[in-house]
Amino acid sequence: MPLIVRDHTWTQNQNTVYISVPLKGVKTANVHVICTDEYLKVSFPPFLFEIFLFGPINEEKSEARIGNGVAVFTLQKRTDELWEQLFTNIDKDKQKHIREQAILKVQEKEAEKSKAKATRIQQEKKYALETMMKLENEERDRIQKMKDEECAKATAQLDFWRETQRKTAEENENQQKLQRTGTNNNQLVYQKTERANATPAVTLLHNTGNTTSGQISRKQKPKDLPAPRSAGCIKISFTPRVFPTALRESRVPEEEEWLKKQAEARRAVDTDLAELSDLKEEERNPDWLKEKGDKLFMAGNYLAAVNAYNLAIKLNRKIPALFSNRAACHLKLRNLHKAIEDSSQALELLTPAVAANAPARLKAHVRRGTAFCELELYVEGLQDYQAALDIDPHNVALQADTDKIREIIQGTT
Amino acid sequence: MSSTLEKPQIIAHIQKSLNYTVFDSRWIPCSAKFVCMGNFARGTGVIQIYEIQQGELQLVKEIEKAKPIKCGTFGATSLQQRHLATGDFDGSLNVWNLEMPECPVYSVKAHKEIINSIDGVGGLGIGDGAPEIVTGSRDGTVKVWDSRQKDTPVVNMEPMEGETKRDCWTVAFGHAFNDQDRCVCAGYDNGDIKLFDLRNMSLRWETNIRNGVCSVEFDRKDINMNKLVATSLEGKFHVFDMRTQHPTNGFASVSEKAHKSTVWQVRHLPQNRDIFMTAGGAGNLHLWKYEYPAQRTKKDADNVDMGVAGSVNLLQNVTLSTQPISSLDWSPDKQGLCVCSSFDQSVRVLIVTKLNTV
Repeated sequence: MPLIVRDHTWTQNQNTVYISVPLKGVKTANVHVICTDEYLKVSFPPFLFEIFLFGPINEEKSEARIGNGVAVFTLQKRTDELWEQLFTNIDKDKQKHIREQAILKVQEKEAEKSKAKATRIQQEKKYALETMMKLENEERDRIQKMKDEECAKATAQLDFWRETQRKTAEENENQQKLQRTGTNNNQLVYQKTERANATPAVTLLHNTGNTTSGQISRKQKPKDLPAPRSAGCIKISFTPRVFPTALRESRVPEEEEWLKKQAEARRAVDTDLAELSDLKEEERNPDWLKEKGDKLFMAGNYLAAVNAYNLAIKLNRKIPALFSNRAACHLKLRNLHKAIEDSSQALELLTPAVAANAPARLKAHVRRGTAFCELELYVEGLQDYQAALDIDPHNVALQADTDKIREIIQGTT
Repeated sequence: MSSTLEKPQIIAHIQKSLNYTVFDSRWIPCSAKFVCMGNFARGTGVIQIYEIQQGELQLVKEIEKAKPIKCGTFGATSLQQRHLATGDFDGSLNVWNLEMPECPVYSVKAHKEIINSIDGVGGLGIGDGAPEIVTGSRDGTVKVWDSRQKDTPVVNMEPMEGETKRDCWTVAFGHAFNDQDRCVCAGYDNGDIKLFDLRNMSLRWETNIRNGVCSVEFDRKDINMNKLVATSLEGKFHVFDMRTQHPTNGFASVSEKAHKSTVWQVRHLPQNRDIFMTAGGAGNLHLWKYEYPAQRTKKDADNVDMGVAGSVNLLQNVTLSTQPISSLDWSPDKQGLCVCSSFDQSVRVLIVTKLNTV
């Protein structure tokens, strides 16, 4: 509850009322005044002074001076009369009503003020922007004008040069006509020697060049040129590259990826299998095992070949050739599903598709295609054969097989 | 602000939209006219001659031919005759007299496939020796022709037997400083640059810049070879210092990345051999100046001379179009005047200012 201040003093004359409220030690910054035409409230926590004025005042013309521990209000009366007392006695409801009105009024005023401020700021910004734009436009125009002047100057020079060209061309023609009418052998001889002496390095490109060449009669032979060169042929070869395509055609990133993969595959040897302890040293080498498997395949011993490849794959899962060759073995053994699995695995390892692994991919596709066809899944088989044909379009046997499969499909549908 | 305006400015003086694809544009020497070569949509070739009159291009003549024309040069003709040598999509080399274009002055079926690039030397009063034309084609061969010899080339640079051929994209003459000496430089699509010496009939130097070579040019054809600029795909170009050839390292070079796209053409200013302009695939032109190093040669570990490459400064750049600028030609008569054509079927005449103070 704020403390009500009652020790205020007041004086008046015909048209003004002076009210003096002691601030009781509160700082001026903490003083808050609400004043309407009938009501004055000064709140300076913890104190409160409010008064319901005897008569209406003109709030806009009134002023408040707050400082030196006292607040002095100079209120302009609306009507010029002396008040009997400062405040009126009005009942509580009316008091409340007046208070609320006062607060509303103050709020309105604040709102108006802030709105006015906002619009003013906006206008100023707009003005600033417009001046900026104007300045920049002027700058641009100035540069444009300079450029146009240059252009006009250059054009004028060009036209002038062209005119002189034309004039000299006309002069030449006139002179030539004169010469043709007046046959003067001595003159011809003189000019011939003159021209022969002049080295070709002299800037004949200029107008002067035109005049000298124009003066010569048409009957004169051109100066002696060396004979045509005796025929020669130079054979050339083009820069060899690791991948024989130009930089823009080469698929360097894929090629490098493939090479890296190969290198990794070489290194990835999985050696912590328990069964390996009783294997000989050479039998732990996947390459040796692959060779063994190949030899067994050639000899017709497909089961043994599969065993060799199995062991090699256990050691190193990343060599595509192992899967591909095992697929061939399974094909011979008519384990068609296993053949399909292995050739699929081989193809997975043979990504990215580059020229270097094309033959390997070709083989894998053919093997898988054959397996599909044996299983009578002709459509899948055709897909693989088509892929193989894409790698090697010129393979006659492949084309024949693809056509055969296509016929079978068309025959059965 | 003043410093930026003291740089050379590239001003697009005239722009004309054409109704055909234009592949090459060349100034007619000693005149204010130029020729544009290309092909109509109906598949026939066209040569148009334009003259600059009062800020506009006037069509002087239009010549239609059976096959689309890819490239042309005035390099091998005399100043009086001014015959145009063209290479077309069929592989034929024709030399035309533009006054009477019905029948070519010289014609030969030079290559089996499109002639990608053509150059001429020995004409226009530049250089000594016989006028010759060199053509480079998609069939991988580079052939040198003399208009006095029918049907067979004077020199033929072809791949060896069994070698896979690479397209030749560009050719240039150089080192033609006396009657005997001459060099041809050829750039291929796999990045090979080969320098052939025609006096010794041999391959003098080769290198590979990894990306396909779009354009090569010597800074001057008629002097002891000084500099060679080779531009390639992926926005790079190389400047080789050709004065000093090291037995193993070849020629010293400096390379620069610009344009962020294929650099289609390089052309040196005829009046100043250290200034050149490159045309890029994004429709932009860059003007460069080459600065020589303090010492052009130095000794390597074995006391053999080797060249030192200088540096390249960008003087100015401008974007003219959204399509690649395929051809560029400086006027030999007026410094700073150049014509360029691009794949948006338009030809532009440009003026480059302040080149005399650069």
